[in-house]
Amino acid sequence: MIHNYLFLSSILFCLGTVGVISRRNVFTVFMSIELMLNAANLAFIAFSRVHESMDGHVLAMMVMAVAAAEAALALAVVILLHKHKGKLDTNVFSLLKG
Amino acid sequence: MLVNVLFYGFAVLAVLGAVGLILFRHPMNGAMSFIVTLISLAGLYALLSAKLIFALQLIVYAGAIMSLIVFIIMFLNIQAEDLPREEMKLVNILVGVVLVSPVALFLGKIVNSLPNITADLVGNDFGGVKPVGLVLYRDWLVPFEIVSILLLVSLVGAVVLAGKRGTGK
Amino acid sequence: MEQSATYLGMIPLFPLLGAVVIGLLHVFTCNRKRLPEKFYGLLACVGPVLSFVLALKVFLALKALPPESRFLTHNAFTWFSVGDLHINMGFLADPLSCLMLLFVTLIGTLIHVYSIGYMGGDKNYGKFFAYMNLFLGSMLVLVLGDGPVVMFVGWEGVGLCSYLLISYYSEDRDNVLAGNKAFIVNRIGDLGFVLGMAFLFWAVGAQGFDYLSLKANVHMMEPAIALTVCLLLFVGATGKSAQIPLYVWLPDAMAGPTPVSALIHAATMVTAGVYMVARFSFLYAHVELAGTIVAWVGILTALLAAIFGMFQNDIKKILAYSTVSQLGYMFAGVGVAAYSAGIFHVFTHAFFKALLFLGAGSVIYALHHEQNIWKMGGLKAKMPKTYLTMVIGALALAGCPPFSGFFSKDEILYSALATGHWGIWLIGVLVAGMTAYYTFRMIFVVFHGQPRDHHAYDHAQESPAVMTVPLIILAVGAVFAGFLNFPGVLTISHWLEPSLTEHHHSSALLQVIAIVTSIAAFAVGLKIAYGKFGQGAQEPAFKGFADFAYNKFYVDELYNAVFVQPYKAIGTAIWKSIEPNVTDSPVKGAARLYMVLGTAFKALQVGYVRVYAIYMVVGLSLMSLFLSQSLN
Repeated sequence: MIHNYLFLSSILFCLGTVGVISRRNVFTVFMSIELMLNAANLAFIAFSRVHESMDGHVLAMMVMAVAAAEAALALAVVILLHKHKGKLDTNVFSLLKG
Repeated sequence: MLVNVLFYGFAVLAVLGAVGLILFRHPMNGAMSFIVTLISLAGLYALLSAKLIFALQLIVYAGAIMSLIVFIIMFLNIQAEDLPREEMKLVNILVGVVLVSPVALFLGKIVNSLPNITADLVGNDFGGVKPVGLVLYRDWLVPFEIVSILLLVSLVGAVVLAGKRGTGK
Repeated sequence: MEQSATYLGMIPLFPLLGAVVIGLLHVFTCNRKRLPEKFYGLLACVGPVLSFVLALKVFLALKALPPESRFLTHNAFTWFSVGDLHINMGFLADPLSCLMLLFVTLIGTLIHVYSIGYMGGDKNYGKFFAYMNLFLGSMLVLVLGDGPVVMFVGWEGVGLCSYLLISYYSEDRDNVLAGNKAFIVNRIGDLGFVLGMAFLFWAVGAQGFDYLSLKANVHMMEPAIALTVCLLLFVGATGKSAQIPLYVWLPDAMAGPTPVSALIHAATMVTAGVYMVARFSFLYAHVELAGTIVAWVGILTALLAAIFGMFQNDIKKILAYSTVSQLGYMFAGVGVAAYSAGIFHVFTHAFFKALLFLGAGSVIYALHHEQNIWKMGGLKAKMPKTYLTMVIGALALAGCPPFSGFFSKDEILYSALATGHWGIWLIGVLVAGMTAYYTFRMIFVVFHGQPRDHHAYDHAQESPAVMTVPLIILAVGAVFAGFLNFPGVLTISHWLEPSLTEHHHSSALLQVIAIVTSIAAFAVGLKIAYGKFGQGAQEPAFKGFADFAYNKFYVDELYNAVFVQPYKAIGTAIWKSIEPNVTDSPVKGAARLYMVLGTAFKALQVGYVRVYAIYMVVGLSLMSLFLSQSLN
């Protein structure tokens, strides 16, 4: 019965992964990551419901807190990148090229 | 019966929102569809009797994080020409799907192999503020404190990163 | 049976230590303040003198023992021990090595003293004496070694010192080439020696690889193997002792300073081959054919070298070919199983040949390094001591009784007759005549008649005492050494008996024939020489056979064309074509492979973080594929 929730969680996770690896827009990449986090949250809550324990909820809260922190920092970085190059394309930043 | 309808409704909305997120060109559109996904997820949490999390999802995720993202998108004043020209967007997405499909199949297989558990009925107390709070402050106190520090750090970091520096850059 | 004598180890040690000390002193002072020459000279003579004193001690110790047990051994340390092969750095003093020891150290000391005067003014004085001491130490190791391996250590050591000393005047490229030639030709002989040793060990060496054990076990060898070993060892001897076909280095070796020629290429090193055959007398006596081959090679070499010697113009070259010729006699002696006769000739030859070389050195020194006999003449008035001693040496060499050379040469010729080797005897008599001829040709042209180069003649004067005293001492030896083995009494032959495996023949008739023909040959040679050169003669222009002989039958050119140039061509071909392709290309290919791999992997580092994320997802997918399999 929970399986449906878990399937949905998997689908959302995979969609998030696809978004991370296929898109070049920084915002889209970032929001795909958030999507992956949410998929994980859903799995946590579903299992917590099955085991009738609050631990899953607590963990989901932690994940949300982390996501918030990460969002703040990531967006600060995006602003800096935009200031630096004026573009929102991840392909522009290729100094790591070996 | 209603539960199923609600579930499938919310599920479809969530998936559609996710698909929209990865397909839209303008990030604003993507953000909007993502918000749809988040709200549907909140609904799903509610269906799972996670009252607090349902509320928190709406308040924190859809409310705070997404509004932050939208704010930044609007702040950067993105014109159409600023956006990256992704000519091969669909091809890339297709390739991405192909790459990710083994993971998806694997996950599917795992989920299938789980035993058929039925969720018992739970009392009203399940997932409310008080039970979650009790667990949080009893069993998960240290992680809680650490996460607070994490938030503090990110706060400081955000200020440092985005603040003005000397002559600016 | 054998007694132990620790001081045996010190005999070679003193000169070797001397070499190290002098060498270090030279190295550290040659660019700064030079040490006085007297200091080096004194230091250099300490080693040889001490060795001579110890040699006398050995002689006295052996004399005190009964003849059957005249062995002194000393095992310094175990050198290595692998499987059945146990080699000790051991020393053996028996009558044979004692005899060699005595004259090597005596003549070595005299020549060191002589060199103090001869090498005066040379800027590498210390280096010279370091090398000389090193040579003496190696020669003593060779003579005292208790087995073929220790002997080979000394063998190689003297070869090295020969090279170092021949190329001593290294500013002139020809001298260095001569040194190279000596070393390389020696090495070719050494290959034979090593192969001989290997066969010997394979055949009987497991029960002990020193002379005493080998002597006890030699009857176990098959004749074919024994013959092979004898011939291979003899190949080594042809290299070291300048016999056909490896004699070509000895005339070129005259490029070294004259004391070197005297010590190394006349008295000591070149006799190592003869000593080796005598040492292995138990083996050569076992196989008669080997001895015959050795004798014939020896006597033919004697003949060839005598022919060359008759036509040379350089005083040292005459003496060099004379040495080769006399070495041929020695091998003829040991070849016909008259080992003590051969060793006796080694003994007397050391005295008179060293004397002749040192005398020639005295002449060269007086005439400021002029070596062409046709630029000399009339020196007997100006250099009486040198003249007198050289005449004594010449008479000894030519085989005039009662000088030492007569007795030793006669003993060899008599042994050839007594064992039925008529051909060897005949050639030996002919060579004796030729020896007298070329020796006195040299004496008459250099010392008699009118001076041919007045400028050099005017500046000539007798050499200082430090050079003439050794000449006198050697002359005494050249005169009286012969009496140590008077025919019939045979003191030295009896002394050497415990070391050698030989039969003594006695036939009074053959003895008389040998004596008479020797004296006749000497007289004929002397007469012809006197007739042609006694009254002063000018340098002849060589034609025909004389010119052919003057050019040494073009043997060097032949070797060059047949061996050296093809070898060089092969080497060049390999260097130019095989090396770049066969040996260098795998190495370079490996390097290039890694570069290519690196460049290939570099393509993965695109610099886009998105692509790195893709790599992560790909890894994740592969892992999940793998895990899905196992989940089935």
